[in-house]
Amino acid sequence: MRSFALLLTLSFATVAFAEIENAVIDVPEEGSVTTEEGLAAFQRVYEVVSHPRCSNCHTGADNLPMWSGPSFGQTRPHGMNINAGESRMGVETLVCSTCHITLQEFTEDSNAIAHAPPMTALPWQLAPVEFEWFGRSAAEVCAQLSDPERNGGRDWVGLAEHLVDDAGHGGFVLWGWNPGGTREPAPYSLQQHVDDVLAWGAAGSPCPDE
Amino acid sequence: MRLTVNGTEHEVDVEPDMPLLWVLRDELNITGPKYGCGIAQCGACTVHVDGFAVRSCQLAIGDLVGEVTTIEGLGTPDNLHAVQQAWIEHQVAQCGYCQSGQIMQAADLLAANPQPSDADIDAVMGGNLCRCGTYPRIRAAIHSAAARLQEA
Amino acid sequence: MASLGKIARRTFLIGSAAVAGGVAFGVYAARQPFPNPNLDDLGDGAVSFNPWVVIDNERVTLVAPHADKGQGIFSAQAALIAEELDIDLDQVEISFGEPDRAYFNTAITEAAAGFPMYDMSPTAERVRGFLGGVAKLAFPMMATGGSSAIPDVYDKLRQAGATARETLKLAASQESGVPVAELRTERGAVILPDGTEMPYTALAATAARIEPVMGVVLRDPADWRLAGRPMERVDIVRKSTGTLTYGIDFRTEDMRFATIKVNPRQGGALNGYDATEAEAMPGVERTVEITGGVAVVANNTWRAFRAANAIQFDWGDAPYPAEQEAHWDHLAGIFDDEHLNAEARVEGDVDAAEGEEISGEYRSPYIAHAPLEPLNATVLVTDTRVDIWTGHQIQMFAEQIVSEITGVDQENVHLHNHFIGGSFGHRLEFEFIRQAAEIANQMRGVPIQMTYSREEDFAHDFPRHITMGRGVAKVLNGQVNSLDVQIAGQSVMRSQMGRMGFNLPGPDTQLHEGAWDAPMFNLPNLRVRSYRTEALAPVSSWRAVGAGPNVFIYETLLDEAIHAAGADPLEERIRLMGHDVSVGVLEAVGEMCGWSGPNIGEGRGRGVAYGFSFGVAVATIVEVTHTDAGIRLDHVWMAADVGQVIDPVNLENLAQGGVVFGLGHAINCEITYSDGMAQQTNYHAHEGMRIWQCPPIEFRALETNPKIRGFGEPPIPPSAPALGNAIFAATGQRIREMPFNKHIDFV
Repeated sequence: MRSFALLLTLSFATVAFAEIENAVIDVPEEGSVTTEEGLAAFQRVYEVVSHPRCSNCHTGADNLPMWSGPSFGQTRPHGMNINAGESRMGVETLVCSTCHITLQEFTEDSNAIAHAPPMTALPWQLAPVEFEWFGRSAAEVCAQLSDPERNGGRDWVGLAEHLVDDAGHGGFVLWGWNPGGTREPAPYSLQQHVDDVLAWGAAGSPCPDE
Repeated sequence: MRLTVNGTEHEVDVEPDMPLLWVLRDELNITGPKYGCGIAQCGACTVHVDGFAVRSCQLAIGDLVGEVTTIEGLGTPDNLHAVQQAWIEHQVAQCGYCQSGQIMQAADLLAANPQPSDADIDAVMGGNLCRCGTYPRIRAAIHSAAARLQEA
Repeated sequence: MASLGKIARRTFLIGSAAVAGGVAFGVYAARQPFPNPNLDDLGDGAVSFNPWVVIDNERVTLVAPHADKGQGIFSAQAALIAEELDIDLDQVEISFGEPDRAYFNTAITEAAAGFPMYDMSPTAERVRGFLGGVAKLAFPMMATGGSSAIPDVYDKLRQAGATARETLKLAASQESGVPVAELRTERGAVILPDGTEMPYTALAATAARIEPVMGVVLRDPADWRLAGRPMERVDIVRKSTGTLTYGIDFRTEDMRFATIKVNPRQGGALNGYDATEAEAMPGVERTVEITGGVAVVANNTWRAFRAANAIQFDWGDAPYPAEQEAHWDHLAGIFDDEHLNAEARVEGDVDAAEGEEISGEYRSPYIAHAPLEPLNATVLVTDTRVDIWTGHQIQMFAEQIVSEITGVDQENVHLHNHFIGGSFGHRLEFEFIRQAAEIANQMRGVPIQMTYSREEDFAHDFPRHITMGRGVAKVLNGQVNSLDVQIAGQSVMRSQMGRMGFNLPGPDTQLHEGAWDAPMFNLPNLRVRSYRTEALAPVSSWRAVGAGPNVFIYETLLDEAIHAAGADPLEERIRLMGHDVSVGVLEAVGEMCGWSGPNIGEGRGRGVAYGFSFGVAVATIVEVTHTDAGIRLDHVWMAADVGQVIDPVNLENLAQGGVVFGLGHAINCEITYSDGMAQQTNYHAHEGMRIWQCPPIEFRALETNPKIRGFGEPPIPPSAPALGNAIFAATGQRIREMPFNKHIDFV
């Protein structure tokens, strides 16, 4: 077996994207956002994370990426019998980057061809299994995002920073709003999403009941 | 643009977004990798980059990092790779157009997993389309190649 | 060049008469052969006994003119010649040869004789022989298709090899003084009694001066050395090393790479376009207007593709209904006398027949050919000569079309045939040849390689014809008593032949093929009627042509009837069958799987189907399990009878591939039209089967068929109904429409 590390060194790219604008972090003062506003912000956050552009790769321990959303018709596992394995990037079987090429630079043209596999400047992979969102309710996702055990050890500002950091590397977050082809982008905008995460956190990370 | 293919370095004057497949086929006349779909649906264009299978129709030359091996570099009629020997032994090909890609993908599979089960084969080869339907023979040939490589 | 001169040429013309024409038919006047094309460029001291064998002092060349699109006919042709010539395939060069009338297909007209292919009566055979002769006089077609290549060449290539062998022996006798009777041949040499070897190449000059020996007797297949057993296909090493040159791989100096965009509303007009942006793109040399569209000529195929996508088009409307639902509505409305194509079969009286009635309506959609090598052709036009490098199944007609486009005499148009990366019927079409020639004609002196993008290949395919079936069955006393089958479809033959400029008279037999000729002679009441339209999308022969949809309709209805009768699907089919060869394949497939009925456990089922097409009886059994994730294919068994087997390994490969092809398309493929355009643009939407869905496929070949048959197509028709019948056995759900995934999930 070849090492996972080798693959990572191979496919990590230097990123110097310029064409697509990243979001900026403007942390609201604590207490400046009401619970009600926080809940409304979270609802928008949930619309984003449950959108196919995000949730298709935030799947569970079966390590199956999903195909769902308007560009796919029926919801089903990724075609071609793909299983990303415990590595979450297909090292055990077919590495995701066989088709989902790791770009040197993520630009507006990077995913121009309809029905071609999407690409980013980070090696294509599923999100860590703790981040399983596919098919989960708003309450479940909210509990996950509030729990450092299941959100990568981050507080709410950390979550927003994570988004901006990923986008800054031309990664999946940036792709979610610039998916190219005939794919529907995630709702709102990257900046709105970052602002909503921050507003939700500033309101004390309130979670919906269901 | 510089690239190394099958151990030979080449200089090509192309746009950075030209897919590797078309650099190989139309600039360097290396025609073993085939054009079938242009969207990573068929796998006929599969090559290795530093040993890993990659769909060359998706890899823009500007994103290439590493050395390229095509079917021509895997083995030749006079010096066959174990996978190619097995492909001949099992008379796998019908039209043969997808087989460059199938063989390159199978070689990558065996490098990672020297004794694949049928399920392992199905998990890796699912991205390579064969319109003639040679799948039963592909499975058998991969098992043969695995045995051959074990002996070697 | 032709230093053999006119005397030698005349000699061989006379001498090779009975060879080239195929002695099996014996209709001499109509069968008189065409001149041997190899004589035109024959070098000094070289000899060509007939159109298939050329020997000079350096090498033996076998000509294998049938197009090879993966079915292995290139190797099979060479093996049949070499078998009688006593030479091994590693000692010869094998060439597709120059397209020529001498290679016209004597078997392809068989199906048009109006007799079922199992009918070996003297009358049926005389009509077939006569039709072959007429076809030769009216339109001698060098063609590969309809699983006809093996029947076409089986006798004539062995005859060609034997004639050459005996003539070489005569030459050796003249040189050595040893009587012919004391000579033998082995591995490309005549061997004298004392063991001295006289290689064929050394005998060529002498052989060229004598008349070919006629009246040779062919060997019994039991004595074969090469054929009849597994052989290494002569293209297999090249196909396993990326070294085989397909048409798309052809390269020549100063060649340009081009692509086209033609109205995706098939046959619609090009109202206007703006190529300004495209022409300014890197590597683009120019754009060229062609019939119904525009071509981009560039220095790289990808640059041509990209520029073609940058052209703004104003396309005209489609000359057929713009929306898919209207196609089905149209078919539903033509089951009437006005559209009657043929009342193809009437046994007993289906109206008066007694029994419980079962009825159904069946749909078979448009399907794309989508071979993996997209259509392409390279053409160089000069004022005096045209060269075409491509792969095509009707080579001379392609030359004729290019001659008409360029104004260069057809004898100066040379098609260099290449191995084909899949066809399934697509390489019987001429549009891509026309388009490449139209571009090259506007850029004389420049070789143009025109390649379709995959998207253009889908958009501009002429798919399998759309078909709707209606059936009424009657069951009585536990048996099937009556089948009344009606099939309505877009006429595939008129559509396809129409594009070739032919006005096909009479009914289109493909609209009932596979249904009217099922040899179920013990079925007392049977009526098969077909209805024809030409108002829908242009269509083309798709592997197995009419038998694909028709066997699906017939065998699904039959299965419903057998179920209603409470009979066993395999036993009842055997009972109905009055044809020994067909009984044989059904019994064989039952034995192979250990048949114990359709229901083999909770959520599991087996389905049987029988198909008779291109003269071959095929029986297929599919086993499935209904899992939580959908239907899973567990196993397939198939038995078929092609008569004499030339290469059992290649035959098994074709059988397995045919099952994959038949099942894959039945599960998930269709072409649908919206706004007049095919909605499926690439394999993501028209996938077929992949390896992980492919079950083990076991095959058995029987050899009782009185005539040798080809096997490219026959595996297809029973595949889909066998699967549908298995799904019914596993789930109780009867699926009457392809693709099946519209009605049930698959794993």
